Amino acid sequence: MSIERNPQTETTQAAEPAAAIEVESLTVSYGAVPALLDVSLSVPAGELTGVIGPNGSGKSTLIKALLGFVRPDFGSVRLFGESIEKAKGRVAYVPQRGSVDWDFPVTVREVARMGRYGKAPWWKGLSREDQRVADEALEMVRMTPYADRQIGQLSGGQQQRVFMARAMAQGADILLLDEPFAGVDAATERAILEVLEDTKASGRTLLVVHHDLATAGEYFDTLILLKQRLFAYGQPADVLHPELLSEVYEGTLRVFADLAGDRTDRGAESTAAAEDGEGD
Amino acid sequence: MSSCYEWLVEFHQQNPHLLKALLAGTLVSTVCGVMGCFIVLRRSSFLADAVAHSMLAGVVCGYLFMKRVFHAEAHAPAMLIGAVLAGFFTVAMVTTVSRFSRVKEDALIGIMYTGVFAFGGMLLSLFSQDVHIDLYHFVVGQLLGVSNTDLWMMAVVVLSFVILSFRSLQLITFDRVMAASIGIPVLALDYMLTTCTSLVVVSGVHVVGVILVVGLLITPAGTAYLLCDRLTRMLPVAAFFGWTSFVFGYLISEKINVAPGSAVVVASAVQFLIVFLIAPRYGVTANWLRRRRAVPQQLVEDVLGCVLRSSDAVMPVGDVLSQVSGRDERVRKAIRWLQREEMAVIREGNVTLTESGVIEGRRLLRAHRLWETYLQHLGMPEDQLHQQAHLLEHVHDEEAVDYLDDKLGHPLQDPHGSEIPEDFVHLVPGAAVKAALLREGHCAEVVQLDGDARLTKLQVGMTIETGPREEDGAIWTFQLPDGEVVRLDHTTADEVQVRLLA
Repeated sequence: MSIERNPQTETTQAAEPAAAIEVESLTVSYGAVPALLDVSLSVPAGELTGVIGPNGSGKSTLIKALLGFVRPDFGSVRLFGESIEKAKGRVAYVPQRGSVDWDFPVTVREVARMGRYGKAPWWKGLSREDQRVADEALEMVRMTPYADRQIGQLSGGQQQRVFMARAMAQGADILLLDEPFAGVDAATERAILEVLEDTKASGRTLLVVHHDLATAGEYFDTLILLKQRLFAYGQPADVLHPELLSEVYEGTLRVFADLAGDRTDRGAESTAAAEDGEGD
Repeated sequence: MSSCYEWLVEFHQQNPHLLKALLAGTLVSTVCGVMGCFIVLRRSSFLADAVAHSMLAGVVCGYLFMKRVFHAEAHAPAMLIGAVLAGFFTVAMVTTVSRFSRVKEDALIGIMYTGVFAFGGMLLSLFSQDVHIDLYHFVVGQLLGVSNTDLWMMAVVVLSFVILSFRSLQLITFDRVMAASIGIPVLALDYMLTTCTSLVVVSGVHVVGVILVVGLLITPAGTAYLLCDRLTRMLPVAAFFGWTSFVFGYLISEKINVAPGSAVVVASAVQFLIVFLIAPRYGVTANWLRRRRAVPQQLVEDVLGCVLRSSDAVMPVGDVLSQVSGRDERVRKAIRWLQREEMAVIREGNVTLTESGVIEGRRLLRAHRLWETYLQHLGMPEDQLHQQAHLLEHVHDEEAVDYLDDKLGHPLQDPHGSEIPEDFVHLVPGAAVKAALLREGHCAEVVQLDGDARLTKLQVGMTIETGPREEDGAIWTFQLPDGEVVRLDHTTADEVQVRLLA
């Protein structure tokens, strides 16, 4: 992307609202091998977008870049037309379920209030206003009746809602979710999907790292297919193209196809299972 | 009130050291309890142990430095600072090296702290003329001539740090990524926590010695963890348990004349075990009671099945009690559970299933009869079918039952000739299903045709009526709008997608 194009982008931005997430020519590396190479995309506000790609394809690097945790080698990330530093409050991270200590002595209300921790000076208590915002966020995800429960005493869907409430309490318009469906049963998966769709209905933009190709097309409005480079971005029907997928997944998918065909090759089956389970 | 004060004064005059020791111990043990909460929640007990051991090198260095440079003997503040620095050094080494090596953190902690501790031991024997530290006291306590002023300083520094930055500490302990994303200085707070841990450990070693200091730190916190569901309560409760274990331990040690450090840690361990037994939510007794009180799902399902098989899904309570195996009061409990879940009501001494109860019961009945058919299919003797299926019907996960149904070719009857309820989970008006799931009398609209089904007379958009199955249920018949009847086998019927009409 050349610099000459910038004025033009600004004029278009003035005419219509800026995209929620605008990534331009982003390259991030940890050494010689880039984690992300020349990734450009623009996610409009209010969309539920899935990020798919094999293990180590830069999915979490993209999330880190959007949170401002990694310094890009080149390129820029803009959220609602602003730099990450300026837009810091507008983006919230929802952790992977496996990384949360569900035995931690903390209640639902307290987790929601954590969303306001960045707003108050560190030595002072939360203001009434901050507490009200957190309580409203709980109300929005219908978790008020459980406000005083310890977080381990909730169902999977409820647990997801608590963290969505925290993100909303942060005042975030963009939510970054790290594999919300990893390691949950079918009922919880449906419950979580419902939460995501409710959140989308409230006008927020969701970017979700997802591992399961089988459900990706069904769950998301648009998909981002990454493997260092951006291989495809668009409607699920276009992104989940067999040729594209086999190029990105380099044969792992052929194993899946073999499986569907006949189940005699036990070796291939276990390889596929290992591929599938690695991201959990 | 005044008599109490007089008693204290008198007590103090008789045992001047005792009161001073009590005050020092109280301070140290309460602050230990508070810091212990973070150590327990961050799972860094081993690191705290490492800090305690590595102190030795710092203490010796501090001693030597003051003696050689200022000719001061046993200068306590210098030894304290040395101890904190040594603790800090160990933690810094562990975190730095773990970043560059494949050796995992727990092993690194072991490597670093034993190294630093042994270095301290070497110094101690090398300079035994200069340094008068009794290793025995380092191990069991009463090592440094730490004044109560030093302890007060430590307590004030640590407690004010914890109270002022409580929210940030809570957040970096609970969710570091989120903390970093809202701009909390995670690393700086980590180092502050380490410094505070070193301070607390150094004072803890003063009371109970290097081996037991971990007990003083984490046992009260662990005890509080069994009782509290929020960190804001866990901190004061842990402080309280720290204090009580010190007071009990100390009084016992005075009474029966044992080392106070051991007595204090034994007291806190006993305290932990007692709370572990009787804690209302996370204790073993409560757990056991809860399990006892819980109604086994299996019993509930037996009651449902039993009532459903009777006419009109109504059955006198007495009959249920006699027909369902299990102790009466447990069966009653299962009935009460069904009432609470609104699956059954009791009218005039009869258990009556509600609509949702009937649906749930039919789901179980379907599972039971499919399992029976499956077992017969495998060649199990007739007389064992029911009993085995009775055990297996509790495996009624939707997908498992669907698999059985499909594998058996969607049978209509079980081996005893009773009807197998239809798949009412998927077979609802408006939903798209395979035609193989349709039962006689069902009307449906064809929505998709695959494979061989395309070669039949069926066409998308056609409304068909399901006729009776032929050839022992192996052939499906459908009547087309023009009256013609189409016959399909299982495979082809599966290739026809239909939408059930109401």
